[in-house]
Amino acid sequence: MSRRAFRWLVLGAVIVFYAVPMLSMARFAFQRVPVVLLTWDTLFSRWTIEPLVEAVTSREFRRSAFATVRIALLTASVTLFVLMPVLVRARLAGRRLRRVVELSAIIPFVVPAIALVVGVSGIYREWTPWLLRSEYSLVPLYFVTALPFAYRTLDNGLAAIDLRTLLEAAQSLGQRHSGAVVRVILPNMWASVSTTFFLVCTVVLGEFTIASLLLKNTLPLYLAYAQGQDPQGAFGIGLLLTVVSAVFLAVSARVSGRLVGTGVVR
Amino acid sequence: MTHVVECRSVSKSFGDTRALINFDLYVGRGELMTLLGPSGCGKSTALRLIAGFDVADAGDILINGTDCRETPANERRIGFVFQNYSLFPHLGVAGNIEFGLRLQGVSRAARRTRVTELLGMVRLQGLEDRYPHQLSGGQQQRVAVARALAIEPQVLLLDEPLSALDATVRREVRTEIRRVLQEANVAAIFVTHDQEEALSISDRVCVMNSGRVEQVGAPREVYARPETRFTAGFVGNTSCLRVTSLGGGRVQLADSGITFFVPHNIAVGESADLLVRPERVTFAESTVSGPAAVIESVIFLGTIDLVTARFDGSSQLITGMYMAGVRTPVVGERVAVQIDATAASVFAR
Repeated sequence: MSRRAFRWLVLGAVIVFYAVPMLSMARFAFQRVPVVLLTWDTLFSRWTIEPLVEAVTSREFRRSAFATVRIALLTASVTLFVLMPVLVRARLAGRRLRRVVELSAIIPFVVPAIALVVGVSGIYREWTPWLLRSEYSLVPLYFVTALPFAYRTLDNGLAAIDLRTLLEAAQSLGQRHSGAVVRVILPNMWASVSTTFFLVCTVVLGEFTIASLLLKNTLPLYLAYAQGQDPQGAFGIGLLLTVVSAVFLAVSARVSGRLVGTGVVR
Repeated sequence: MTHVVECRSVSKSFGDTRALINFDLYVGRGELMTLLGPSGCGKSTALRLIAGFDVADAGDILINGTDCRETPANERRIGFVFQNYSLFPHLGVAGNIEFGLRLQGVSRAARRTRVTELLGMVRLQGLEDRYPHQLSGGQQQRVAVARALAIEPQVLLLDEPLSALDATVRREVRTEIRRVLQEANVAAIFVTHDQEEALSISDRVCVMNSGRVEQVGAPREVYARPETRFTAGFVGNTSCLRVTSLGGGRVQLADSGITFFVPHNIAVGESADLLVRPERVTFAESTVSGPAAVIESVIFLGTIDLVTARFDGSSQLITGMYMAGVRTPVVGERVAVQIDATAASVFAR
């Protein structure tokens, strides 16, 4: 087999691997034909988006969806706000501090969600019981969960620019250090910042265990619940979320692509 | 003369490495001072201390008479041009130049006027909307100079700004930088390890070695009258001859019986290094009187040839210089060496 043919074979296998489950989901969610009655004659009949409409207009869905979006946006913002100054400082300070930060950032990989929840909820109960009752109690936990991914993406973005020189150039022109990070560094690593933002949102959108243990009504929990009550609607929402995520990534890639024209491609 | 920059006994160490030792430097208004020295001699460290990017361990740094030890870099109003361009990639040429002016709260109209004026000064009119990656290295460096000058700095610091450019562009940009600085009448400190660059654009040169100042002076003075063996060896080409004084100005090559006259007071029997510039050496026909030597190599450098000869019965070499178009001795030719020893530098061993 030629190399070219092998490449096409691999690409075809990947497409099938992703497309078949998606198409199966779509058929299950939007077609009112039981699978046992599915033939070539019935394949294109009785397609409807009614189950999805019913599901997304339900009060429970809206409540959990909005809560999840709020938590995702807050977690992503907190992650960037906390991590950026730390990583900039670590890059400027030298190898030793960078190693400490790197180690701290990847520790969550080996901490099970249950251990995290048990530990943190004890602290919440002792110091901030009001936070335990709030949906925002998930934000610090999701921050920790998303930390390894966010760290790696942002650190790669910082590695791709001449951080020290850009900061010093901005300072020599009268910009304070913090202002230089916002006005010079962030715009020059827009692609990795936006990727981090979407990555953290994705982690939040897919996280089940922590929310379940803390009894929070997030979208993944609602979907798990809805699969028992309204499987078609739940699958429809699952598919919708996948499409929305794909659109987000496409927009992010397009924005990054446009920035190629300005030299900001990191 | 009022000094814009005064460094008094400034020292800086990085761990066990002493980067700068009792560094003194005075730069006047409109003066272009060059810090010249080999890599690691402390010249960039000196620049970074003046800019406020690093903090000195000891000594004072005064800008226009004000001690700026406690002043952060962003409040010193010091322009800095970096080796690797350092233009902000997300901003166009105009955006880069007006960056500092925005921070100063300068109005949009005034910013426009200043950008146009500076682009005219660095001869880049019409490139306002280009992004850094759309410019050549030389153009980027000229934008960097314009950006640094936009804030009307008290002093402009240039840290090897030409080292990333190729030879032709380098010569062109250094002439431009010299012209722009004269036009702006701003005090500037230029760091380089390239002696030709230092000698060609500076008002004064500060030669540095191992964190210390070796000599400060006008380029011709430093070249013609080096005060230390390091300066003599680092600035320009020199031949170093080991000699022993026979008294009365006559010296003998250390490892042969060859003698010649040097108008310097070296005590009888004392050993010294005699440093001779190639333009002070002539290789005459062997029939002419003078120490005999044999041509070892001829290096063609375009406008000149560097010719090296070995003294008869000695391991010591001496280099002379021939302008292009003049008959140059050939390798193996026997010659008589004639040295204009009045211009030679003598350092006791």
